[in-house]
Amino acid sequence: GVWRHGWRLAGGHAAVCGGGASERDGRGGAGGGAKLKFVFGSSAIQALDLVDRQSITLISSPSGRRVYQVLGSSGKTYTCLASCHYCSCPAFAFSVLRKSDSLLCKHLLAVYLSQVMRTCQQLSVSDKQLTDILLTEKKEEA
Amino acid sequence: MAEVLRRVLSPSSAAGPEEENTAEAGPPLLLLCGPGSGKTALLFAAALETAGEGRGPVLFLTRRPLQSLPRGTGAALDHLRLQKIRFQYPRSTRELLHLLCSAHEARGPAPSLLLLDGLEEYLAEDPGLQEAAYLAALLLDTADHFSHRVGPGGGCGLIVALQTQEEGDSGDALQLSVLQRYFPAQCWLQPDAPGPGQHRLRASLEPGGLGPRAEWCVAFRPDGEMTVTPWPAQAGDPSSDKGSSSGGQR
Repeated sequence: GVWRHGWRLAGGHAAVCGGGASERDGRGGAGGGAKLKFVFGSSAIQALDLVDRQSITLISSPSGRRVYQVLGSSGKTYTCLASCHYCSCPAFAFSVLRKSDSLLCKHLLAVYLSQVMRTCQQLSVSDKQLTDILLTEKKEEA
Repeated sequence: MAEVLRRVLSPSSAAGPEEENTAEAGPPLLLLCGPGSGKTALLFAAALETAGEGRGPVLFLTRRPLQSLPRGTGAALDHLRLQKIRFQYPRSTRELLHLLCSAHEARGPAPSLLLLDGLEEYLAEDPGLQEAAYLAALLLDTADHFSHRVGPGGGCGLIVALQTQEEGDSGDALQLSVLQRYFPAQCWLQPDAPGPGQHRLRASLEPGGLGPRAEWCVAFRPDGEMTVTPWPAQAGDPSSDKGSSSGGQR
């Protein structure tokens, strides 16, 4: 159904967001933003904001394994997996998993946008530190 | 990993040149069944099949050591293959999470297949939706990492077996639907009316849009030997060219 399509739609982020990114050219061009908003709702604007504020960090270790962290607007850091749709934020658990209201949370959308736009911070950590980051991503403590 | 399961289930159609999907891992696959089915035997058969491919080892995760090695389909229990299957027994969800999160720390050849038996036992400890999604996502992420280590032309497949409740409640249904979103390919094992001295299953493979749907009859003899035959095609059923090796859709 639409959910299966939704995962692939979001996974093929270049196909969905590529047009938006090229039309956006910096801060101008509302065309791409409107398309994003149509598909992703109000998360789109918040996600673009996160990208603009350099809130996404790609963390990698010598093993080559990677994970993303996003500094949310509230100041909390959320962890997003690089290989599939998972975010530790409450909105992911509620709107995406439980209610199926949304395809993505704003953090995941920000991650995909930053991949397409090739703009995010990079951080190298040790293999052990990456393990710890993955272990604590399960749920953000209140 | 639908391809591996397909090859396990139809060895005759695996004869002949395996062009495209030989080394490709294929999408992660969820093996779904009720209690008392042959999911462990099928997983083990997939392990043996992959172990014989000359690629990396197979990592088989299960809560408890197998009491006896499933018999499999004929000649496959050769010791060289068995040596390539590494069993690990995470006894709790916490241990499983730790194993997956630290998978990148281990050196040595990356597995070409990651198998998990009994996901339901780990989920039972922590039945929240986010926990289930996290476990599924981490399994995918771990297999993805192994795939990157194996490099192009290879990859690490993922098959996870989940026993579902006969009479689940809506919470179970929601949890299952969340898990299904992470696994594009699924194979359902349903009990079939048993013949004399036999335990039989209908295996229905849905490869997630990457190949035709297919069905097999999996039978277990009293001595444990597993035999697989194509499920008789229904009249007008288009998905029945399993036997052809002339490069049909795979």
